[in-house]
Amino acid sequence: MKIIVCIKQVPDVTEVKWDENGSLIRTGLPSIINPNDQNAIEAALVLKEEKGAEVTVISMGPPQVEEALREALAMGCDNAVLLTDRKFGGADCWATAYTLGLAVKKLGGCDLIFCGVEAMDGNTAQVGPEIADFLDLPLLSYAEDIKVGDGTVTIHQNLGDVTRVIEGPMPALVTCEKELNEPRIPRMDLVFSCFDKEIMVMGIDDLEGELANFGLKGSPTRLRKVFSPKRAKAQVEFLEGTPKESSQKLVEKLQEINAI
Amino acid sequence: MDFNLSPLNKLVIKTAKAFCEREIPKIDAYMQEHKDYPPNLQEIFAKHKMLGMDVPKEHGGIGADNFNLILVAEEVGKTATTCMLPFFMNNSVAETICHWGTDEVIKKFVPPLCDGSAWASMAFTEPNTGSDPRALTLTAEPDGDDFILNGTKRFISMANKPGYGIFFAKDLSMKGKPFDTTAFVVDKMTPGITFSGHYELMGLDGADTCDVFFKDVRVPKANILGKQGKGFPILLRWIAGERVQQCAATIGGGQAALDESIKYGNQRVVGGFPMGYMQGFSWMLAEMKTKVEASRLMCYKTVKLQDEKVKGFEAASSELKVFTVPMIQEVCRQAVQFHGSYGYSKEYKVEKLFRNAMHAGVVASSLEINKTIAGMTILTQK
Repeated sequence: MKIIVCIKQVPDVTEVKWDENGSLIRTGLPSIINPNDQNAIEAALVLKEEKGAEVTVISMGPPQVEEALREALAMGCDNAVLLTDRKFGGADCWATAYTLGLAVKKLGGCDLIFCGVEAMDGNTAQVGPEIADFLDLPLLSYAEDIKVGDGTVTIHQNLGDVTRVIEGPMPALVTCEKELNEPRIPRMDLVFSCFDKEIMVMGIDDLEGELANFGLKGSPTRLRKVFSPKRAKAQVEFLEGTPKESSQKLVEKLQEINAI
Repeated sequence: MDFNLSPLNKLVIKTAKAFCEREIPKIDAYMQEHKDYPPNLQEIFAKHKMLGMDVPKEHGGIGADNFNLILVAEEVGKTATTCMLPFFMNNSVAETICHWGTDEVIKKFVPPLCDGSAWASMAFTEPNTGSDPRALTLTAEPDGDDFILNGTKRFISMANKPGYGIFFAKDLSMKGKPFDTTAFVVDKMTPGITFSGHYELMGLDGADTCDVFFKDVRVPKANILGKQGKGFPILLRWIAGERVQQCAATIGGGQAALDESIKYGNQRVVGGFPMGYMQGFSWMLAEMKTKVEASRLMCYKTVKLQDEKVKGFEAASSELKVFTVPMIQEVCRQAVQFHGSYGYSKEYKVEKLFRNAMHAGVVASSLEINKTIAGMTILTQK
């Protein structure tokens, strides 16, 4: 079985600091593998251990994304592919999915593609589904559990209040939720040996796509403005009385402002 | 001179930090309740392949250099956990056996120390000596294919856990010769070995440090490490490396004390402002940071000497301890002071960091013996 895992390197927002204007200080911010993508890697590695699989991790981004790919290799992935080219820059979800999809084709396809549900820096949750669309694969999204049978994949799909069990034929694309598993910490011996592995690098010329579809040029999305929302200041009011009385007062207050 | 860490170094640190965040709280919670290490502690380290880090690959280790090992030590030291002791010990004893042992000894004792099924110990100290081989009273008397060991070892960590220790004894068959200290690899569960209860220590909460009593204990001659009568150089080489690991972990503790103080200085509001911005406190932070930074740089330089097998590393590791330990002890004292009364409370991490830092001045060679080693080296080197 061949599994391809698509990952993204993102800033570690748990380490985020803000300047006096409330803007994100990006300088010196450490980078991590997007948390949902770590769940996707773990899911692939579990299948590798249970059923035997070759796991290839791919990522699009600047050369420093190699750091994230090395970490994925240290977790136990077999191969890593870096898609890097200045012309990939500024890609939105569609152009990113197009680029990753071409890379999957170039690698000769696979039985399963795993992606994180969404990236913590953009939260669009679109790249995985758009890769599936581009490659014309069944999409099994928001997976909290994955089972692979004879030519089929079954997931527990998180739909908020309900969980749906769905099955699709392979090859297929699965997007992975954080509830799916606990990503492993790399083993120390693999941390050392991952630097002995070669990372395959692909640029725009290697993918044989339409030039107009890559990067900013190929992105239908237009970014108009980035801003930090103003924080509304509000007065704090303590509602006195027994729990029952204060609850009643709270309900009345909320009704006054049509909140309930 | 390159002060930058390599991508490998950075991934080692990141991995060690992730291990500490996920595993150490569970280990510490067990130790707080049971006043001892979790029975599966070494298996936890082994699962993450953190044992045998500096053991050559051909003997089942990772073959890492010492620099990367001390990067792990620093991260573990930041947590103030006592379980750093068994981690260091299994690594350093396995490496020592690989360096001095015969193929037979290596094959027998190193794999269990790397796979976590055995706990390592190092035992030189006795009731009346911690560094003088002439004062040893644990005796080893030849008897057929064995030696018979009798006597007492003091303050031995992980002694009562199943596994192997390197024990230094006065070799009675070497009587009259200039050097009579022989090192033995001893199975700690051998009949005739008994243990005292755990010592109550100032820091290192939950440590199992105890005395070991030998009563007619049979140890095969094949378990001699190195050559008969040449045991003391084995101790000196081991402890030179141990000092660097200990200093790295202590520096990690100093960094944690600084980090806690920065956090407290930003959170605690005095007169409408975060306390840390008052000059008296910001100066304390400046002093703490410079002490930690200078100690860390000296530690990195020293471990590079070790990795490059530079002659004089042993004296350099003594100098490292002479400088680093009082610096970090002072950093931890300042951190307690920075927190005021809260710093004296067990609710705050700096209290534990301070108690732990005090161990480095007296455990694994005292500051004073290191001053002697460093000073005598300065006088005698050409």
